[in-house]
Amino acid sequence: MMEHLNNDFLIDYLHGQLPPEDDALAHAHLESCASCRGEYEAEAALGEALRSTARAEELEFPSMIAAEIWQQVRDARPSLASQLASLFRPAIAVPVAAVAVVALYFAAPLAQYAGTPAKHVSANYYLEEHAAQQAQNPLGERSPTAAQLIESSAADIGNAADLAEAADAPPLAMMAAADASR
Amino acid sequence: MGAPRVPLEPPTPEQKAFLERAMQQYGKATYNFAYRLTGNEADARDLTQDAFIRVYRAWRSFQPGTSFLSWIYRIVTNLHRDELRRRKGRFQEELPEDNAPANFGGQRPLAVTPIEDYVERQLGEPLSKALGQLSAEQRQVVVLADIEEYSYQEIAEIMGCSIGTVRSRLHRARALLRRLVERAQRPT
Repeated sequence: MMEHLNNDFLIDYLHGQLPPEDDALAHAHLESCASCRGEYEAEAALGEALRSTARAEELEFPSMIAAEIWQQVRDARPSLASQLASLFRPAIAVPVAAVAVVALYFAAPLAQYAGTPAKHVSANYYLEEHAAQQAQNPLGERSPTAAQLIESSAADIGNAADLAEAADAPPLAMMAAADASR
Repeated sequence: MGAPRVPLEPPTPEQKAFLERAMQQYGKATYNFAYRLTGNEADARDLTQDAFIRVYRAWRSFQPGTSFLSWIYRIVTNLHRDELRRRKGRFQEELPEDNAPANFGGQRPLAVTPIEDYVERQLGEPLSKALGQLSAEQRQVVVLADIEEYSYQEIAEIMGCSIGTVRSRLHRARALLRRLVERAQRPT
């Protein structure tokens, strides 16, 4: 007669956890061995008793559990870390970044002066500089050459009048001559 | 339970909806599972509450398409084990020699107790009492294998151990359970 199946083997068989060949072996043995079948039924009965007890004692979900959980959720306050992290949310980070970029764009020319203190410039420097610029400006009122330029241009105008007179003279003279000849 | 209170973050709308749905669909099963493990309603409430708070915190780590029930059973199982360790101060995995599975050998007693007898004799109370005498791990494995009817593979994933460990724990737990129940039934 074949050796009896031990209970560990029967428990695995009962839970359908034996490899197929062992499962077939157990099945065949239980068909022919009353002793093992009895033991198997006792194991099966234990499982059934556990389930029926669980069903009989089944409890409803107490509403106080949900109430307590929701209370904890309602009391939840954001931690410092999450508050800081929330600053990097797109809804905040994008506009902030846009403003920063625009500000940086306009502030960039100032940046080259940043750090170096402004040099002290005396008013005399500006006055001298201004005078020097004026001196070089041919159209400046205070340019020393201005008077000369005006004089020379006036002289040019005078010459031009003479030339014009000279140019006009022959026709006039010819007219006079023509009158005279008539 | 004595879990450290790390402050909760306010929920996002999705997170709130997730928690609401989780409690609606799985609150009862989770609570009953916790009750099976703890054996009393007050501890089951605490355990269930802690488990859902953990779900709330870690809701993003839930993989859609996987079993939510397995996930929360895993959370409950871990919390239950941690709580018992905290209470006992030490972890008692091994049973005394007395509780080792009986080696019936050739002369084991012929089992004559049919399924109906167990149920008809109203085993509920002695069985619940016997469950309470198992170690946390043994109780977990019996509840998962025989009441929730998970496979050894699934139980290994829930309990975070090997299939071999599941198998040996279940064997021991059932052997002990049968002894305790038979002792309780024996007329004195």
